[in-house]
Formats: sequence, C-alpha cells, structure tokens
Amino acid sequence: MESWPKARPAVRKKIAIFILIGWVLLIIGDRVDELRVYQGAQMAMYTIALASIVLLTGYSGQVSLGNGAMMAVGGYGAALTLNNLGTPIWFAFLMAIVTASLFGALLGAAAARVSGPYLAGTTLALAVGLPAIANQFAFLGGEPGLFFDVGFPPERFGDEFTQYKWFFWIASFIALIALFITSNILSSRFGRTWRAIRGNSLAAELCGVHSSRMKVLAFTVSSGLAGLAGAVLAMTISLVAPGAYGLALSFALVTGAVLAGISSLPGVVLGAIILVFIPEISVALADRLGDADKLNNYLPGLIVSVLLILSVIFTPNGPGENLRKHLHKKPAH
Amino acid sequence: MQKVIETLLIGLSTGSIYALMSLALVLVWRSTRVVNFAQAGQAMLSTYIGFEIASRSEIFWLGLVFAIAAGALVGAGVDYFFMRVLFKHATSGPAAVVAPVIATLGLLGLIRSIVGLTWGGEFKSIEAPASTDGFSVGDGTIPFSDLDVLIIATVSIILIAVAYIFQRTNLGLALRASAYAPEIAQLAGIRTARTRTIGWSIAGAVGGVAGMLVTSNNFLSPYSLDLLLVFGFIAAVIGGLESMVGSVIGALVLGIGLTFILNYVGTSLVFIGGFSVLILVLLIKPDGIMAKGKARRA
Repeated sequence: MESWPKARPAVRKKIAIFILIGWVLLIIGDRVDELRVYQGAQMAMYTIALASIVLLTGYSGQVSLGNGAMMAVGGYGAALTLNNLGTPIWFAFLMAIVTASLFGALLGAAAARVSGPYLAGTTLALAVGLPAIANQFAFLGGEPGLFFDVGFPPERFGDEFTQYKWFFWIASFIALIALFITSNILSSRFGRTWRAIRGNSLAAELCGVHSSRMKVLAFTVSSGLAGLAGAVLAMTISLVAPGAYGLALSFALVTGAVLAGISSLPGVVLGAIILVFIPEISVALADRLGDADKLNNYLPGLIVSVLLILSVIFTPNGPGENLRKHLHKKPAH
Repeated sequence: MQKVIETLLIGLSTGSIYALMSLALVLVWRSTRVVNFAQAGQAMLSTYIGFEIASRSEIFWLGLVFAIAAGALVGAGVDYFFMRVLFKHATSGPAAVVAPVIATLGLLGLIRSIVGLTWGGEFKSIEAPASTDGFSVGDGTIPFSDLDVLIIATVSIILIAVAYIFQRTNLGLALRASAYAPEIAQLAGIRTARTRTIGWSIAGAVGGVAGMLVTSNNFLSPYSLDLLLVFGFIAAVIGGLESMVGSVIGALVLGIGLTFILNYVGTSLVFIGGFSVLILVLLIKPDGIMAKGKARRA
C-alpha cells in the first residue's frame, strides 16, 4: 500500500490517455460509414481477446490454443443471463467475465498447474470439442445456438443512431475499460510475478512466489477477459453458436497476438486491425483469382497460417521487439 | 455379456488407431520437446495422398504405402524446414518457450488450407480393404468386422516394427540417446539433428497410417482428423507424454472406455467423456501412468 500515492499520478495519466482515445473513437465513429463502424466493433472485440492472450502467453508464459473456446464460455454465459433472467446488458457482460473466469479457474487448476504443453493441448481439445459439448446440453441451443440481443440504441440518441454504431459504442467502451484494467494488472505486482515465472520459474519460487498458483491465476484472469470478448462477439453477430467460436477463431487470435508482439499490450490494437482486415483482403484476392467457393473457404486460413508461421519464425517476439533490438543493439529483457 | 465383449473388441480397434496417433505425438515430444499439434495436419495430408492413390488404383494397400511414404516425407520436411529454422531464430525473449507450440498450430492451419484448396471441403471416402459387415455370432451379427481385425493387425505390425527399430537397431539406440541426453549423444558421435529429423519422419509415417485406418470406415475432410488428434493427445497424456508403451496403453484404455460410453450412454457424451479423462489424469496423475516416483518437470 505504501506505493499507492506514488503510483497514483501514473494511473491518472493513464486514465487521461484512455479518455482521450475514447473521445477520438467517438469522433471517428461519427465520420465513417456503416461497414467501418461495424469493423470498429469487431476491432474492439479482438483487442479484448488479444489482450487475454498477451496476458497469458506474453506475461505468464503459457499457451492457450483454444482461446476461442473460452470466448464461447463467456458468450454462452452472457446469453443465458440475458435470455433467462432478463437482466440489463451490463450485467450480462459482467456474467460473461464471471462464467469464463470460473470455468478458467477449474480448467486451469488441472492444466495450468502442471508445466509443459498440457494447457495448450487441453484448450485445443476444448476448442475442437465445442460443437459436441454445445449439442450435448439442450439449454445451450445446439448447433444453431442462442440469440443474444442487446436491444436497440436508446431513443435519446435520435433516429440517426444506427444499430451498428450502438454495437461500436458498447464494444469500444468495454474494450477501453478492459484494456485499462489489464494494463494496470500487468504493471502491478501480479504482472511482475508472472514475468518472473516466465523468465525462470525455479528462481521465482526461490523468491517466494507460489508459481503454480500464480499460473492458474493468470489463466483465470485471461479466461475472464476472453469471456468478455466472447460476449462482445456474440453481441456483434446477435448470436452465440459453436460455429462462431471454432478453431479458426482460436488460430486467428494466436496469430494476431504473435503479430502484435506477444508481450506488448498496446500491440493488440495493431493485431486487431490486422485480424479485421484479413477477411476483406482475402475476399478481394479471391475475387481476382476466381474459383470463389474454395478460395473463400480456405484463403483466410491460408493467410492467417502463413502470417503466423512467418512471424513466429522471424519475429517471435513481435515486430516491435526486432525494431527495438535494432535501435538499441541489445535485448530488451 | 455379449454386448460387453463386442464393446471391448470395438474399443480395441478404436483404441489401436488412437495408439498410432499418440505414439506419433510421443515420438516427437521425446525428441523435440514439442507436442506437435500439426500431426493432425500431416496425417491429413498423407491420408489425402493415400486416398488419391487408393481411389485411382482401387488398391487400399497401395494407398497405405503411399500414405506412409508421404507421412515420412512430410514429417521430415516439417522438422527440416520449419523446426530447425525456428530453433535457430526463436531463442530469446518472452516467446522463445511458446514459439514451437504456436508454430505447430500455424502448420496445422497451413496444411489444412492447402488441403482444402487442393481437394475442396467435401467429404471423401476410401473404400475399405475388408468387409465392414459384422461377424455373425449365433443368430445375430456383432458390429465387430473383418475391417476391425485388419485394423488391429495393421496397428500391431506397425507397433512391433517401431518397437523393433527402437530396441534392436543402431538407429533406435541413436534415437533414444538423443532424446534422453542430446548433448552426450552428440559427444558420442551421434548426429542429433539428423536423428531428430528421422524421429519426426517415423512419427509422420505412423500418423499417416492412423489417418488411413481411421478414414477406412469414416469420411475424410479437412477437419476429420482433429478429433483423432485430441484423443491421441489425451492418450499420450495418460501415458505421461514421455513413454511410448504408456501412450499405447493409454490409447487402448481410452478407446475401450470411450466405446463403452458410446454403446451404453450415447454418442453425444463421447467427447465429454474423453475430456473428463484428460482433466482427471491431469489432476490425479499429471506425470502419467508410467511415471516412476516423483520427478521434477522442467
């Protein structure tokens, strides 16, 4: 607690920056067309999801290959809350975080506790089996999924205010808050501890860190963030269905996080922009190359995987890292 | 009683295919310390090649031979062109530990897209090399067929061959040595990098067989082997990821267990059953059934 007064100006500065970003987003949201506004909402969703990977992989050094599945947990949590209890939307989003964190804590207690590739495999298994699980329980709605309707924008915003803009507002607002909290967590004691474990878990334990407990905590927090992103995704497509949270989404998220620089929180914005535009680029390419059916189905995957492989081989710590190395001629860690 | 026995037999046949996949994963894990999630992709590519040959020549076994060859080549290629380059580049920084796993995920996606772009997404099927009609016992027939016998036989041959290579040949000795202590193996004159590539190619070949066998009474699509990968991984975890024998036992146990769920509870619970097994093993015996005493995992 002693460091609190010292930390305060930094936090205040951060708040100012986030409010500024929000204000800029508001202005941009008013100036661009419907499609871009919708893409803005998607971008906000991806920033939250990528932040969850940065926290887990970049800081605590664990890999989740099925973050899409954790997003699904959040999406279902939010949809069930909203549909069955008729709560306000903010409560549904809150429940998305709660459900996904609880689920993450349970899963993490089994898989994140032991080191090695267990968490990666377990989460991948979950992502692969998601449709099977959704079909199993009737209340999850099976293959077609559940509706998730956040409702029309409030009347006082006027007739001009479109549904997509409403999505964009909600998504950006949530993303800003989520990123603000995440960046504070990462610069707190927890963030430092996670980095210590990632660097050398034995050394961290000698310093009194309970490393397996901290790893489970990292996975829990990351799952909560992913769940929130899942609820935002559900909002933008008005639906929670296993198809939307499949392996392709998990692949895309890992790619985005690696491209963003796996341990850089501001980088997630770059990653999100790339992820939003990959489908668009791929459609443009498919149009040019012909044979639209096959290309539309597999070209996005091809682009994502090639980007992932190239970046993981040549700039595993993100393009920013390479640049920094180049400038300083010494490793940053 | 008859149902119990037939469930056991079917489970044995299913489990033996899982055994190949988990063996492939374990082989790579031992030599490279990477769980190769691209194994599903490699197996899929080899199976598609086997499918092409089998459907053109109408000889399943020719297809299988090509699938094995393709699997070996792809496995070696993945190690030679990706893993070696990767280990050369990603050596420092926060991503060093996680880069290999992420790379295998990227490879899985890459192979899937290439297969999808080449063969399209529609379901293909390979004509089974043996009858899929069940044996008749008394008045009825049981679902256990000639094909299942053939699957079990093929898997046994492959397992014996792999065991022979590892226990009785110089290559096997080199493979075990470089997995156990790479540096010492190198000092003893083993070219560990090359040995590792051979290990990857054996794993790839084994995975190719798994793909062909699982497709012989099922459909082939760019996604059809994902579940096999998951069950292979679960089996490998049961065996402790480290032990080849453990992974085979784990796969047989898993196959039989899941078939019991399938026959007595229903299709829908099979995946959840498998996933619960994974969680239980991680909670109770994270080092697997073959672990001797307590060892620290680095």
